[in-house]
Amino acid sequence: MNWLSGFADSIALRWEAAGPRSRLIIGALVVALIGMVGLTPKSFFGVPLAWPYVGLIAAVGWGRSGMAFGPMVLLVLFGFAQDASQAPWGSHGLANLLIFGLAVLVNQTFDTERTPFLSFILPVVTLFSGIALVWVTASISSGHIVRVTPMLTAYFATLVVHMLIAPLFDLGTRANMNRGSVG
Amino acid sequence: MPRLSGKGYRQRPLRRYGFFVAVAGLVALLLLQTSPRLSQGVEPIRTAASDQLFHVTRPSLMDRLSGASAKERQILELEARVRELAQYKALALTMAERLEVYEEILNMQGEPGGAEVTARIMAETNGPFAEALLANAGATNGVIEGYFAENDRGLVGRVVQVGQRSSRILKVTDFNSRVPVMGEASGLRAIMFGGRDGFGRLTDLPEQGAFLPNERILTSGEGGLFPRGVVVGHVRGVEGKEIRVDLAMLNGQLSYVRLKPAISIPTPEAFPVEPEPVELAEGDGS
Repeated sequence: MNWLSGFADSIALRWEAAGPRSRLIIGALVVALIGMVGLTPKSFFGVPLAWPYVGLIAAVGWGRSGMAFGPMVLLVLFGFAQDASQAPWGSHGLANLLIFGLAVLVNQTFDTERTPFLSFILPVVTLFSGIALVWVTASISSGHIVRVTPMLTAYFATLVVHMLIAPLFDLGTRANMNRGSVG
Repeated sequence: MPRLSGKGYRQRPLRRYGFFVAVAGLVALLLLQTSPRLSQGVEPIRTAASDQLFHVTRPSLMDRLSGASAKERQILELEARVRELAQYKALALTMAERLEVYEEILNMQGEPGGAEVTARIMAETNGPFAEALLANAGATNGVIEGYFAENDRGLVGRVVQVGQRSSRILKVTDFNSRVPVMGEASGLRAIMFGGRDGFGRLTDLPEQGAFLPNERILTSGEGGLFPRGVVVGHVRGVEGKEIRVDLAMLNGQLSYVRLKPAISIPTPEAFPVEPEPVELAEGDGS
């Protein structure tokens, strides 16, 4: 299995060498891919699947690199794509953008790199805030309290997927470092 | 809790303003949609986007990989078929009830019943001499010569030889088999024999009238060899003066057959001749 570890090492080296713009594009492609699959009916051997809010994952990940126009534009666009289902136009974009702002604020305020607990708990909180925001928007726009259970399952799906693909939304720069940014 | 200064955050006022402008824009967009007229105005955009992005009937990649989409399609087809058959069943039950009432009114004698046996086909002879089947039910099972055999689709043949534990069935595809049949819709009578190509042939056709294309062929019950109404097949086509019949039994399985008794019509009793009354001679008696 040497070839496999060699392949993984070369991928890791290439990722390390990639600039913020390349990483942003790769992250956007990942969001688009997962989002496109999410638009179709999903079930696994008959069991319906909860699909993650991958836009929120991207917002949390890109928020670690600080405020930038590129991620903001992409998050709003992703939001519009999500709104195409049946949500009011701008609702998902607003949630994505606000979570992006929250992630930027949190990462500039706290040193998440040096405190493992914070690096674990902050995405949990910010993603929950995002889901809660979507729930509030949906409840307001529909005129009644929407069901919580599907939102919770989507939240847990989002958390799990975040743990798996979070490194893909690392732009290689940090909000608390005064260097390198996108946009 | 470790805390950093918000230096970088403060150093990017343009981006910060951009962020707030975007948030404000989205909030404004959301608020605008509270107006029903505006909301209706943007609906075509949603419809167009939905057409492009969603194909709800299109199965997902995961469904395709797991085969769920094919199964789902099959389930939908079967459900539709079950619904259709349920309608036919209800109709058939109604008609059976009506038929029963009519038969009772007419005091009609129905087809006689009898012991039926399901037998497994042990051997099949498709040689040049005879097309026959050997079933594992014989005299000990109550089978007697003249029983007819049918599978899940229709008439298979007639028992021509019975052993203790086996019986030989002459298939309707055999050239020497003769089955009195009738058209289900036309009601025309004919005799069917087996052709050499796996189809039945109709002979002794009526002089007037013709079998309808694709018409179902049933046993007519004439001659008492087979009961009336057993499915034989359907009219396949006309070749010259011959009418070919697509045999229904070939569409079913031939591993098991149901052996059923043929009609046994009792011989009519001789007309009773009453003896003439003997005239008494005049003066006799009192």
